[in-house]
Amino acid sequence: MGLVESGKMPKPLTKLLNLSRKYSVWAYQWGLACCAIEMGAAFASPRYDVMRLGVIPFPASPRQADLVIISGTVTDKIVPAIRRLYEQMPDPKYVISMGSCANTGGPYWDSYSVTKGVDQVIPVDVYVPGCPPRPEALIEGIALLQARIQNEDMAARWKGEQGQEPIVVG
Amino acid sequence: MADDAATTEDAPLEQAPATDERRDAVVAELTELLGDAVVDSLVKPGLGIWVRVATDAWSETAEVARHRMGFRFFDFLSAIDWLPSPYGRYEDAAIEVEFPPPMPDRADAVPGYTGGDTRFQVLASVAKPGTDLRLLLKADVPDDDLRIGTWTRTYVGAAWHERETHEMFGITFEGNPDLRHIYLPSDFEGHPLRKEFPLLARVIKPWPGIVDVEPMPGEADDAEGDEDA
Repeated sequence: MGLVESGKMPKPLTKLLNLSRKYSVWAYQWGLACCAIEMGAAFASPRYDVMRLGVIPFPASPRQADLVIISGTVTDKIVPAIRRLYEQMPDPKYVISMGSCANTGGPYWDSYSVTKGVDQVIPVDVYVPGCPPRPEALIEGIALLQARIQNEDMAARWKGEQGQEPIVVG
Repeated sequence: MADDAATTEDAPLEQAPATDERRDAVVAELTELLGDAVVDSLVKPGLGIWVRVATDAWSETAEVARHRMGFRFFDFLSAIDWLPSPYGRYEDAAIEVEFPPPMPDRADAVPGYTGGDTRFQVLASVAKPGTDLRLLLKADVPDDDLRIGTWTRTYVGAAWHERETHEMFGITFEGNPDLRHIYLPSDFEGHPLRKEFPLLARVIKPWPGIVDVEPMPGEADDAEGDEDA
């Protein structure tokens, strides 16, 4: 890993590594509410089937995951668990915020117990709007994330210098 | 439950009988077993039974309902805050909401079925398996001392309901061994289901749904008409 840290990765190697990462995204499912049903449809049903995109939705723990999909209503009570989940994931790690609740609080914008957006707690790479989003929207979010991974400068990512704007689907 | 009853009141069922001997008998039996502790009662024929009992008899009422009368199924336990909301209906409010708002007069509260003398009432519903009989029990909680007996010794399932009522209304159930928060973070301050609890997001931002309201078809839209003229 010395090459990566020093930023002296040959370009073809970067491309190869990025291609490998792009098509083996281990996605951790963090279903908190009704969006999890749509996530289940996107992941498990033969109609949508994310595994054809190289996304593997079966990591046994966050420590094996590259991507976490926060789908559903984030309450103040579960925030410590989300924070710990994110800290357990190894770098490079990505977060998809799925649905209005995880994005902004959504219909619970005035609630006493709902966190107004998971981006207050952990950095978000892709926002998928909708209440709930259709499985196609989630898959588009994943595809856009894969496109970003393909073009990523690994050294910059490693050093935490990659200050990219988050992707918004739609 | 009260909503159902109110709807039915507006449009009475044609089949609804004028009297209901089975439910009247339940009230009579409860009154016989509890004596003076039954403060008030209401029977809606074919619908339900509402009984208000004295505060001190709240735990005993559960005991009697379950073990002497066969209401073995515990449905729910909660509380009501009868204070009118100091914020009014947020949806109707103008952009500026005065904060903190003036507290409304407790006397303006309209008590529900079987009446009530205090701001808070606890209520619980129990049912008799094998029949369609349900019993809605209520008791006043004294304004100066928000304490009432626990039901957990009779219905074990009431423990979580009492925890929720404790955190949402601040009512203490004496004898419940474990009144920790159940839904809210343990360091949460305030009691969200009390009427004076502010939803700060709504104080800062007016109700956003109001801008989406379209005029009903056929309703003259004056402003638009003026523009045309």
